[in-house]
Amino acid sequence: MTENETKSSIRGDRDLANAQDIIVCEGVSKWFGDFQALNNVTATIKEQEVVVVLGPSGSGKSTWIRCINRLEQHQEGRIMVDGVELSNDLRNIEKVRSEVGMVFQMFNLFPHLTVRDNISLAPIWVRKKPRAEAEEQASSLLERVGIPEQADKFPGQLSGGQQQRVAIARALAMEPKIMLFDEPTSALDPEMIKEVLDVMKELALSGMTMMVVTHEMGFAKEVADKIMFMEGGQIVETGTPEHFFTNPTEERTKLFLSQIL
Amino acid sequence: MNLKNSTSQTQYEEEINVSTNSGLPPKVAALSPTEWLKANLFSNAFNSVLTVLSTAAILLIIRGLLSFIFNPLRQWSATATNMRLLMTQAYPEHQYARIWVSLGFLLFLTGVSLAFWRAGRRVQLSQVGKRLLAIGAFILLATLLAPFSSKATIIWLIVGAFIVGLGLLLKPAHEDKTISSLTLLSGAFLLAILSLWVVPYGHHSYLSTRTPKILAEPGTVAMTTKLPWTIMFLVAVCSYFLGAFIREKIDETRSKAVLSVTWLISPLFLLFLVLRDPDFDTGHLFSTDIPIFLFFSIVGSVLLLWLTRPDVGEKGRVISAAILFVGFATFLFQMLMIVRILTLVLAFFALAAPTFSGQKPARIRYAKVWIGSMVILCWLITAINTPSTAKVPGDFFIGGFAITLMIFFFTMVLAFPLGVLLALARTSKFPIFRMISTTFIEFIRGVPLITILIFFSVMVPLFLPDGMDLTEIAAVTIAFIIFEAAYLAENVRGGLQSVTRGQHEAAEAVGMTNSQKTFFIVLPQALRVAIPPMVGQIIATFKETGLLAIIGIFDFLYIARSVIPGQTEYMGSTRENLLFVSLVYLVICFAMSKASQRVEKRVGLGER
Repeated sequence: MTENETKSSIRGDRDLANAQDIIVCEGVSKWFGDFQALNNVTATIKEQEVVVVLGPSGSGKSTWIRCINRLEQHQEGRIMVDGVELSNDLRNIEKVRSEVGMVFQMFNLFPHLTVRDNISLAPIWVRKKPRAEAEEQASSLLERVGIPEQADKFPGQLSGGQQQRVAIARALAMEPKIMLFDEPTSALDPEMIKEVLDVMKELALSGMTMMVVTHEMGFAKEVADKIMFMEGGQIVETGTPEHFFTNPTEERTKLFLSQIL
Repeated sequence: MNLKNSTSQTQYEEEINVSTNSGLPPKVAALSPTEWLKANLFSNAFNSVLTVLSTAAILLIIRGLLSFIFNPLRQWSATATNMRLLMTQAYPEHQYARIWVSLGFLLFLTGVSLAFWRAGRRVQLSQVGKRLLAIGAFILLATLLAPFSSKATIIWLIVGAFIVGLGLLLKPAHEDKTISSLTLLSGAFLLAILSLWVVPYGHHSYLSTRTPKILAEPGTVAMTTKLPWTIMFLVAVCSYFLGAFIREKIDETRSKAVLSVTWLISPLFLLFLVLRDPDFDTGHLFSTDIPIFLFFSIVGSVLLLWLTRPDVGEKGRVISAAILFVGFATFLFQMLMIVRILTLVLAFFALAAPTFSGQKPARIRYAKVWIGSMVILCWLITAINTPSTAKVPGDFFIGGFAITLMIFFFTMVLAFPLGVLLALARTSKFPIFRMISTTFIEFIRGVPLITILIFFSVMVPLFLPDGMDLTEIAAVTIAFIIFEAAYLAENVRGGLQSVTRGQHEAAEAVGMTNSQKTFFIVLPQALRVAIPPMVGQIIATFKETGLLAIIGIFDFLYIARSVIPGQTEYMGSTRENLLFVSLVYLVICFAMSKASQRVEKRVGLGER
């Protein structure tokens, strides 16, 4: 499958122009002590859109993505996820979190549970599914991420790439509307990055709304509908991959690209 | 040093050649005894001096100890005669069967559990041979050092030589020849039991009639000792084979769970068996205890089945809070303690219900857990409320080693959950919980245990309201529980802090509530980390039970130190008894520490 075909097939299935807004951020700011991590971030992400957030380290990418399921609290502005505004109300947060899946850089699998239990725990106790159904779902998700034979192992017995795929399956088990990826391949050995990226591509093809913080330019070029470039807690530039990689407007974007490409 | 390096270097090179041929990892050849001595004990001048000096010191200590033990002035018959006193104090002789039945049941459980968990491991016969060689050599050495009579020397030399010979026989056995460690263990026990029937240890007994009669004459041990122990041994062995037989027939995980619960609960029932006279008043059992149990079980499970519905919402929380309020309010009115306690426990279950809510099987499981807790709690409270009618001297039915074990058991079973709760409260985000827990822990940790024990045994009974009664044993057990809970809480807190932020975030990101996160993710990992320090704490607790002697409870140590030397026949036999007591403590603590090492290895399975 060439690059262009992938894109056209993605575009062919979806009608992004008429899609609903699913994440809306308006003037979001956040400080860690005196340091301003996010500065007036305003952005909209539509349903089924795949957004890649790029930027140098310390630019606030991870902080922003973590604000969207409130692992961090923003201090100014508004964040709406699927029509629910994030506030201090606990019920809103739990509702949003069960609809937003998150994949972490360090996998954060539960080391005391088998792979199957890692995946089925939340559906059983949060979604209140019967155990048999949840375990069946876990098996089919493991099939989907390509490691059905590892179900009864513990996370510590898997390779990094396999662990990250289990983490993706765990997030998918909650049947989320949105998936957030916080540098999902940064802690992996080079030969394992591809297996994780393949799973993410498959997910994008299936029409999942995704927000991905990554340094994988190939993935950004191939899969993203929109690229956002952040620096100093601000979104500096937003555009399609073609625009971003071939014809960036901002000086800082050009500098960043010249450093990494 | 050089020598060692060079030899191992050449060996290494040889092995490389071999390994390239066979494709197996190189085997390091065992050092010969002289090489080993050179490498480890006489590698340089300083090391040699240390070796010589410490060998001399060890020999001196062994000789001193042996001449103490085998001195004809020692009154070992003081310990032997008073064995029953040491173990159970004044427990009536005609009811001893109850103690043997309890012990037999525990051994039965042990046998079945060993079979279910496949506890035995294979030991190489050559290894056994080496061990026997070492033991035999030690016996020979000790015999030569000890001031034995010539007859005893000859007997011990023969025993030592026999063991050495057995070791030499087994040592060259092939690597493949193994034997189960359980077979070895039961073989050793079998020898010990057989020796009871054959070897003339001496026939001792202490008859506690109006004028105590002491019996100490030559011969094998009394029938009341050797027969029950033989039966106990047979029970353990048979239950092992029974366990191995039924293990194959039934669902293993399920029966393991049943066994674990039996382990936890059965001591409570056995205690009842040991402590209560057969003809106690069963009236209040049928008039109050059973109706109360039924009421709480039925009403409670209906309520909990409703509260665990996923869609119950705010209404459930309000009702749970109301039950909690009622539970506290019951203390303002006259009513049975059992009702107050059960109401509070029900409130606790109701508050936790949203955490475990789910589909029908999950809800039914929760109700089952509730009924199970009711069975245990009601039994416990009934058992405590039923006074012992057996007439014994002193204010408690049993003493000696039994009371040490009993207080230790209750302390562990109750201090553990309390400690976990305290640790959770201390790390809670609610300041009021944090404050209460921190104050409690720091206060308890700042006060010596003996102070708390004296406070509870002397002062607390004075503060109790009219009509409420607390035996000294109960008061002291509570003192132990709060003391150990404070320390366990700190161990658990260490474990809680070791759970990374990433684990918390991952649990939050899949939408778990705070209590779900704590129960399913944080606590299991925290407790696993806390096992080594907790085992240390448990062993310490066991040894701390010796403090009971200071506040005048007839425990193991008190009887050994004060009661037996008070008997006219055994004036001044304190040291013999104390040595025996230390030996028992040593054996039990060593066994616990060994067991904990195996548990640590097992739970480490899922770790990174």
